[in-house]
Amino acid sequence: MPANGPRGGGGARSPGAPPPDATDKPPAGALSKGPVRSGLRGSDPDMLMLIAKRLLGAIPVLLGVSFVVFVALQLVPGDVARFILGYSATEENVQALREELGLNRPILIQYGIWLGNVLSGDFGRSIALGVPVTTVILDKIGASLLLMAASLFLVLAFGLGLAAIAGGHHRSKRDRVVVLFTLFCASMPPFWLGIVLLYVFGLQLRMFPISGMYDMANPGGWPDVLHHLVLPAITTAVSSLAIVTRVTRGRMIDVMTQPYILAARARGLSERRVVYLEAVRNVLPTYVGISGLQIGYIFGNAVFSEIVFNWPGIGLQLYQAIIQRDFPVVQGSVLAIAAVFVIGNLISDVLAKALDPRRSA
Amino acid sequence: MTAVATPPRRRWLRSPTLRVLLSDRACATGLFLLAVICFAAIFAPWLAPFGPDEATPMFRLMPPGTEGHLLGLDHQGRDILSRLIWGARLTLAAGIIPVAVGAAISIPIGMIAAWYDSLGAAILRVMDVLFAFPMALLAIMVAAFLGPGVENMMISLVIVLLPYNVRVVYQATVEQKSMPYVEALRAAGTSTPAILFAELLPNVASAAIVYSTTIVGSIVITAAGLSFLGLGVQPPGAEWGIMVAEGRTVVFVAPHVSAIPGLFLTLLVVACSLVGDGIRDALDPRVRASMGS
Repeated sequence: MPANGPRGGGGARSPGAPPPDATDKPPAGALSKGPVRSGLRGSDPDMLMLIAKRLLGAIPVLLGVSFVVFVALQLVPGDVARFILGYSATEENVQALREELGLNRPILIQYGIWLGNVLSGDFGRSIALGVPVTTVILDKIGASLLLMAASLFLVLAFGLGLAAIAGGHHRSKRDRVVVLFTLFCASMPPFWLGIVLLYVFGLQLRMFPISGMYDMANPGGWPDVLHHLVLPAITTAVSSLAIVTRVTRGRMIDVMTQPYILAARARGLSERRVVYLEAVRNVLPTYVGISGLQIGYIFGNAVFSEIVFNWPGIGLQLYQAIIQRDFPVVQGSVLAIAAVFVIGNLISDVLAKALDPRRSA
Repeated sequence: MTAVATPPRRRWLRSPTLRVLLSDRACATGLFLLAVICFAAIFAPWLAPFGPDEATPMFRLMPPGTEGHLLGLDHQGRDILSRLIWGARLTLAAGIIPVAVGAAISIPIGMIAAWYDSLGAAILRVMDVLFAFPMALLAIMVAAFLGPGVENMMISLVIVLLPYNVRVVYQATVEQKSMPYVEALRAAGTSTPAILFAELLPNVASAAIVYSTTIVGSIVITAAGLSFLGLGVQPPGAEWGIMVAEGRTVVFVAPHVSAIPGLFLTLLVVACSLVGDGIRDALDPRVRASMGS
């Protein structure tokens, strides 16, 4: 049994503690920070204000993101058109491409034109594929979002549980096992983990397919896709799962020392109830917040698992575009991913605020 | 396990920080692992049984335990152990150099941002934009546009690190700015550069350094990832990320070629995070108080 603090002291702190079976709110003023009772209260006017404020705040960020993505093209050493076409290209072709990319104009004008096009859904034309970048992205983003959603699901499904098991029983054997597990999970490069999983579960045990999204010979609808999804999703999720678990565990350890936990114990709630109901409820904002931040890691990792498992998403497309120096596709993919990232963070931020028990206090 | 207790006689071990570090078993393990890898990197020419590019095509893809080749051979018949030892150099450099450069650049930026409010607001806006990119993705984009190569890879990693470093320096400076001693210096008529770079710098730099040690691991992974994508170290260069990438093509017949360098990469990152966490804890007075007795 880990040191849980003096139980008797907890009883003394809240003299008006209700009988053991009562779980309603403790008397006001008995505790400095009340335990969570609220669920999502999205209809609050201040909540709507928060959402509106965050949405407005996201606009300059997205503009900045688009500017960075645009300016990045200037990093290409030498003449971009010459670089794209290679050294055997004729001067006329290079000039034509310069014209098409608008490279002959001042940079801010170029950006203005480019941004106008982007806002109307025109990301330019893929050099390698000859089709609009928008088509390429729309074609691939579905598979990526599916992979990302599956990975986020794994993170959300296991992160809180692992953190509660570990943090709720600080310094116990289970805690140490979880800490060691997350340490290794957070340290494995995703591309290597993918190869290992592919070899063990795909090639040796033959439990899961190792490439693509459908069975080429015998495509079988959703079950088939899900079967193909397992290994890439695990590869993508593992390091994020580790980070979410570590951070939530840390918060859990803090929460377990709070007066309201002491009070809950004093009310005679079972230890299991104290940890998995009272404490877990109070780590939810941290958990949702850190999970939201994982969207970025998940996108980064997804690039690697898409490559290893040949998953036909935007990450694999990005990789191919890099090899082919297909810069408009690189720009479009990065912009699309960054936009999803900003929006995802916004959602998790608002959600974390909504779940915070002290929000209204 | 490595030594837990510290012999009190050795004078250089008397520093309280170092003592806490070594009495933290996890951190001591990490330090030991890192020391082994650094040792291998520094003395590679003497330690490695073969050169990094020395190939015996006859034995290509032979498994670990093949005579004279402890960890086997890769698809070109190069000794994996030797490539690991040589590769430790670039793998470590790719993690440490960008972090050091990033910290050095971000210190003046973050301090100026914290000192001058209006300029600070602008700098923080720019950092917000960089924060809006997933870390790996920004590195991939910048490296892809700069072109493949070790220097470009490091430049892209410095750019990726910038917002994180600047935020740490900014917060540390804001904290120091409100301290009475700064008020006293100002009242005494000390010039702003003198306050910033003579008085504040030591405090702010230590925050930046502590933060940097915690982030080396993830930069090692990102750097290896860039090499895996073909954007960092170029073949036939020896680096652990590119070794994994090269092994991927032969995973069907010789899984050890990519498994072994990846395992070492994982161990290196584990070591980095153990040490990073240890340093952070050792400098945290609360932890130190609880461990010091």
